[in-house]
Amino acid sequence: MTAIILDGIVLGLQFGLLAAGLTLVYGLGGVLNLAYGQIAVLSAMAVLLTMDAGVPVFAAVGIGLVTGGLIGLIFDQTILRPIYRRQGEARVLLSLLLTLGVAFVVDGFLTWRYPFAGLSLQIGGGPIDLLGVPMRRGSIVGSVVILVVFGLLFAFFRGTTLGRAVRSVIEDEEGARLVGIDPSLMLRIILVFSGVLAAVVALTQSMIRPVTVTAGFSITVLALIVTVVGGLGSVSGAFLAGLILGVINTLATSYIGTFLSLIILLVAAAVTILIRPSGLLGVKE
Amino acid sequence: MLEVQELAAGYQGNDVIHDISFRVDEGEAVMIIGSNGAGKTTLFRAMCGLSRPSAGTVAFEGDDVTGLPAQRIVRKGLGFVPAERHLFPRMTVHDNLSLGAYPKRPDPETMSVVFDLFPRLAERRRQHAGTLSGGEQQMLAVGRALMSQPSLLVLDEPTTGLAPKLAHEAYEALAVLRGQGLTLLVAEQQVPLAMAFSDRGYVLENGVISLEGTSEELAADPRVRSAYLGVT
Repeated sequence: MTAIILDGIVLGLQFGLLAAGLTLVYGLGGVLNLAYGQIAVLSAMAVLLTMDAGVPVFAAVGIGLVTGGLIGLIFDQTILRPIYRRQGEARVLLSLLLTLGVAFVVDGFLTWRYPFAGLSLQIGGGPIDLLGVPMRRGSIVGSVVILVVFGLLFAFFRGTTLGRAVRSVIEDEEGARLVGIDPSLMLRIILVFSGVLAAVVALTQSMIRPVTVTAGFSITVLALIVTVVGGLGSVSGAFLAGLILGVINTLATSYIGTFLSLIILLVAAAVTILIRPSGLLGVKE
Repeated sequence: MLEVQELAAGYQGNDVIHDISFRVDEGEAVMIIGSNGAGKTTLFRAMCGLSRPSAGTVAFEGDDVTGLPAQRIVRKGLGFVPAERHLFPRMTVHDNLSLGAYPKRPDPETMSVVFDLFPRLAERRRQHAGTLSGGEQQMLAVGRALMSQPSLLVLDEPTTGLAPKLAHEAYEALAVLRGQGLTLLVAEQQVPLAMAFSDRGYVLENGVISLEGTSEELAADPRVRSAYLGVT
């Protein structure tokens, strides 16, 4: 039982991180980025290609993070421009269509160009004992990285003026403008963040299992589910929902079967929406 | 200090206000009175950059600020307190005030001026803004605008939703600010309160300015007396 819970927490941390990058962009800009998983995959490919070219792992990981951030910035400057000009429902719909289009193009290109590529970062050494359960080193390292990233995110949002300014736009965009905050600048910063988070997702996943070129959509779908449960725009909601769904998923997988795990997650999301339409810690109505 | 000329604005191409011209000089307290739906909010939103005016100009301290986004106008020293307040409900009173100084660090002296003016805010500084009463939220909205040390403070119906006693207190606080040399522009439906407080005023009716004068002149005008002061 302890082993299952621990596995669930490892998975849950991954889930939480997945959702964090998606939920911030939605909370701030009303943009649902369906190409989020593809940003993760592109970052993974950047790491893979630079490693193949003989660059040391740590430098390659750095390049992966920069790639994610750059793609976020490029999104902000290109396909999100026409989206920002729309308001409300039109904005959400246009963002769905345009980012989905980008996702297909990226997926198509990658499967054509690198059909068999997959990134796996091997963390050497034997299992580590945790509460009497031998855990894979990759899981432990990945989880620690995710916890550190969440710690940095919370420190940024609670402890810095810029972080509070970003939150203020999520809470009340007009109020933010009235204190002199430029919402589009905050959004640009958050898109870069979101891209870097997607890269971290890919990197930590690749410590456990290979991240293949086709992993994009399943990353996006999982991120969407966790985002909905956690509440749009809430990083702490993403963290909490990730942990809960991770444990539920592992329990379901080991007691019922793998075939049901995605269905169980969808049911959990549906139940959450029925009980709390704004998610566990949602900001918006 | 503020000069609005022939301003027109509205929603989706339909102008609600037309040909609005008025001015506010340094050190003055000016009111714009009008009933619900007269166009006060439309006027202030267009003036402060929350919506685009369809015609006319707005000049603030000699600069043309027409059509600039609100965040840039605010940084020039024009503080705006909207009727709906637009606070950050899930942040503390302290954080709301700190953000008022954005992008600068909050000035502790200004913060203590705000707390002197509204001691209730000091008591509740660790509380979330969303848990405050209506009167306290209004105080916080004014306090947040003051944190940027504006040279002109524009308030849209500062007494909305307040009980008569609290409405009085709100104007007492504004009078204190005036005494400290702040220039004020207030839109108000509760005309007696605004009239006792201001030097001059404009009457906004159906989107146009129908009357202007000193507060005494307006208070003596038979139309104002019957329409806004309840005197026949």
